[in-house]
Amino acid sequence: MIRIEDLSVAFDGPEVVKNVSLEIRDGEILGVVGESGCGKSVTALTLMGLVAESARVTSGRIYFDDTLLLEAGRPRDKALYRRFQGDEMSMVFQEPMTSLNPTQRAGKQVDEVLRLHTRLDAAERRKKVLETFEAVGLKDAETVYASYPHQLSGGMRQRVMIAMAVILHPRLLVADEPTTALDVTVQNQIVSLLQKINRQQNNAMLFITHDLNLARRLCQRIAVMKDGCVVEQGETEQIFRHPEQDYTRRLLEAVPSRMKRRKSPYVPAEEQALSDPVVQVRDLSVYYQDGGNSLFGKKRRHCVVKDVNFEIYPGESLGLVGESGCGKTTLSRAVLGINRDIEGQVLHSTLRPQMIFQDPYSSLNPARTVGWQLQEPLRAQGATAVGGAMTRADMEAAACDMLRRVGMDERYFYRRPAQLSGGQRQRVSIAQALITHPGFIIADEPVSALDVTIQAQIMELMQRLRREMKLSFLFISHDINVVYQMCDRIMVMKEGRIIETGETEEIFDSPKEEYTKELLASARNNVQ
Amino acid sequence: MKTLSPAKKWNKYFTAGLVMTGAAVFLGLLGLFWTPYSTTAMSAAERFAAPSWRHLFGTDNFGRDIFSRVMQGMGTTIVISTLVVLFSGAAGILLGALTGYFGGVLDEAVMRVTDAVNGFPSILLALVFISILGNGRQNLILSLGIVFVPSYVRIVRGEYLRLRDADYIKRARLMGVGRFRILFVHILPNILPVFGVSVMIGLNNAILAESGMSYLGIGVQAPDASLGNMLSDAQGYLQAAPWYALAPGMVIVWIVLGFSLFSEGIRRRVE
Amino acid sequence: MRYFIKKSITLIMTLFLVSAAAFLAFQIIPGDVVTSILGTEATPEREEQLREELGFNDPPAVRYFNWIADILRGDLGVSYRYSKNMNEMMPVSELIGDKLPVTLWLAALSLVLITAVSVPLGVLWARSKSHFLDALLGVTTQAAMAVPAFFLGILVTYIFGIVLKFFAPGGYVSYKEDFRGFLGYLMFPALSVAIPKIAMTARFLRNSLLTEMNADYVRTAYGKGCTGRRVVYGHVLRNAMIPVITFLGMIVAEIVAGSIVIEQVFGLPGIGRLLISSVSTRDLPVVEILILYITFVVIFVYFLIDILYRAIDPRISEK
Repeated sequence: MIRIEDLSVAFDGPEVVKNVSLEIRDGEILGVVGESGCGKSVTALTLMGLVAESARVTSGRIYFDDTLLLEAGRPRDKALYRRFQGDEMSMVFQEPMTSLNPTQRAGKQVDEVLRLHTRLDAAERRKKVLETFEAVGLKDAETVYASYPHQLSGGMRQRVMIAMAVILHPRLLVADEPTTALDVTVQNQIVSLLQKINRQQNNAMLFITHDLNLARRLCQRIAVMKDGCVVEQGETEQIFRHPEQDYTRRLLEAVPSRMKRRKSPYVPAEEQALSDPVVQVRDLSVYYQDGGNSLFGKKRRHCVVKDVNFEIYPGESLGLVGESGCGKTTLSRAVLGINRDIEGQVLHSTLRPQMIFQDPYSSLNPARTVGWQLQEPLRAQGATAVGGAMTRADMEAAACDMLRRVGMDERYFYRRPAQLSGGQRQRVSIAQALITHPGFIIADEPVSALDVTIQAQIMELMQRLRREMKLSFLFISHDINVVYQMCDRIMVMKEGRIIETGETEEIFDSPKEEYTKELLASARNNVQ
Repeated sequence: MKTLSPAKKWNKYFTAGLVMTGAAVFLGLLGLFWTPYSTTAMSAAERFAAPSWRHLFGTDNFGRDIFSRVMQGMGTTIVISTLVVLFSGAAGILLGALTGYFGGVLDEAVMRVTDAVNGFPSILLALVFISILGNGRQNLILSLGIVFVPSYVRIVRGEYLRLRDADYIKRARLMGVGRFRILFVHILPNILPVFGVSVMIGLNNAILAESGMSYLGIGVQAPDASLGNMLSDAQGYLQAAPWYALAPGMVIVWIVLGFSLFSEGIRRRVE
Repeated sequence: MRYFIKKSITLIMTLFLVSAAAFLAFQIIPGDVVTSILGTEATPEREEQLREELGFNDPPAVRYFNWIADILRGDLGVSYRYSKNMNEMMPVSELIGDKLPVTLWLAALSLVLITAVSVPLGVLWARSKSHFLDALLGVTTQAAMAVPAFFLGILVTYIFGIVLKFFAPGGYVSYKEDFRGFLGYLMFPALSVAIPKIAMTARFLRNSLLTEMNADYVRTAYGKGCTGRRVVYGHVLRNAMIPVITFLGMIVAEIVAGSIVIEQVFGLPGIGRLLISSVSTRDLPVVEILILYITFVVIFVYFLIDILYRAIDPRISEK
């Protein structure tokens, strides 16, 4: 039905999509997978006629049935495209918040599709929109119709986007990372919804994702992209079982998965039990104030984290999983002593626990060099040290040493964060956290913002350092597979409470709580 | 540092702005020490001489050379405006950093005051301060300086508020870095680009405000030349000697345009 | 409703703060008002009598509250400088009376001009694909922003008044006699105030539109099959106006300031000239009342803009 032949697209510089050929058949789901910057989104946007004006199609053509939609060297026929867009083919985007107009009611935005492509009158249109809302699982359709996007939850917004895309039963639905911005349980619901739509309306789907597990679950065929090229395509199971290309194999290996051998615990359990815990948390509850705005609002004290108990032993890695807003971050801040409004006890045996954050781009000070930032913890320590500060040369040597330990070298000493890649920045962040030998680290989604191959490298690095430096981790993540790889024990958190704790294998093999099972469901369909 | 491509380094805005600003600053500063003719010598014989090679911009109602007076006025304006910006910029950084980072009662108080002041036309506020402090150059600088403080506080505070919760600042706190070191060693370098642009805009506003005040007769007083008071004198002779008004007016436009092109050019370089 | 009460309370509180600040500020002024009013006629007895009359012998706090109470009763005090006749002092209310509408009309007219011209101009600019128009508007607005209002006023006087003779410089028509003639004369000062601000606002709107055109929801709208025109007018413009309204709010104070300076250029009998002469002669009661007036006007306009802002952006009213 859709044929993309030899498509190449370039912006100002080199081509970002190179000689891509894809076919999508009626009713099938084609997955396009690859790491960020591989050109998968640009391909989809070009197909939809939504790519930026500055993009040039340098070769190839795109057919929708027998209609030639696009050809290299010819300007985009916008009028032709408009007939197809929204009617025959439509798209669902990653960020449902920004993809909806913030100042227009949800209903009106969906209604616009009907106004553009049908001759229905206002009442008929309204009826159809409400029907579609219900069909995509929006229960209170009337309320949603009159709501602005900010009044809806992330999952609801994405349902509105899907309603907008499927209201006219298009023959092709393009979904660009439609679940990436959502929580795990919501993700599952949206994926099921897309599957249901695919079966009921029998439309074709182009599903773009970085998540190989997800692609395997959903797609009949898969195309793997790298640096603008399709390196391999074929039946899903064929690719996952017998990848032909090196890159595909590496990609599959990098995916954290249940089936892979865990490289954990390096410190035997008996030894752990003998030593005192690095961190002990006793009956911890954390509160925060709200509405404390000047004279008018009344202050309310919310309990965000309630009655939490745990301890972490030297060399142990404790995982903390849960959805966004469940109190993971608040708990970690309380453990670090940043949140002051707490009840209960937090006992540390280490001096200054450090933290590694998710976003490698905001973890380092853009105005300072790598070397400067690595020495800063030493300088800060020196200011309070009893035995006097380290000398300048000592600090520089320590910084270089640490750089080498995280797999970088002195060349990076005088570079600024802007000159580093995401993975390199995360390495520097880790080096900075470890330079004072803190013994205990809180890692808040440290690999979630990274591509899978980089993710695997950083995870390996963290495991290695853990062994070498006898580190303990509190490892926070929403990705159950990553936690599986990294942690000895797991705590599951929901609405401020720890609902289940146990050895990693135990939790995975026999989860007790319903919620834990739900979380694990996304990890069920694994790559290998 | 990142190396800039030549096209980015020498964009049109930057070059044009640099040339215009350079010429204005050079002539203005020179004008404070040397001018082709005396700025006060009157000559009844040469009243309202049209621009010529002898008098580039012509002469005024007292037969004084307008070009010389414009040079001196430019210098006065530039020096006063620079001092105003230095004063208000420094105060803005200090107050903005403290209020933005620490928040609390001080922040609340300073924000209320800046809100009130921002709502009030700046030139009028300066008038009020002048009427309290009295006329004179120092008082002019001080008044304008005070008036412009809130705008810097607002910008600096906003930046500190934004960066206060950046991950790298959170981490610096965890490392045990002292508060003031975080304020001025960790955060400050990151706000300099934004602050630099606002200083440039502030310089323009100061020039406009100073010439406005002098035009109203409240800034620099006769017989000293300033661009504003020359315009005010010239307005009475629009029919007889339009060049008298045109010269100082166009010079103000020149300086302000030069600075804004220059800052636009720098902004493009930084981005 | 709660919002309105809250806003009104803030408004009143700000006015109180400003009045207190103004009152305090003028307490610390060097120089004695009484001696300067009486000038050469000063004798110790006369001075003491005048002090008593003006209430100078009370402590500052009492005087402040008396002053506020008087204002609330409509008594704005008397001028130190102007007198009605030999025996009667000039009430400030009479002095300000017919001057206030002139300034307000001028500021209002300028604001109308700014919005009416800059919005279409900004949209046209953002939508234009011609490099020539883009460069032309870029240079023109950049230059227009550099012209101070009073010099622009002089240029307008020279070009439209002296060369083209569209109006007679200095030939002000009172609004009481001929309202249309008044507005006709006011057009030129309003134009002088408005032109630099038009340039600023148009630039701002253009940038806002161009930023907004890159937003994700624009892609969604194109994905539905919207035309470019429909995307701009149906989706982008409203969102792009949000920061522009904030910006307009920010320049209201500047417009009022510009109006006051421009009165000087065009010889308009507004409060600007009164304020400037009162400042230079230290006619404090007049200055204080004028400050309160101007603050009130500016805050009130902020209030209106805030309401507009809420109407246009549904996200605000939630909080």
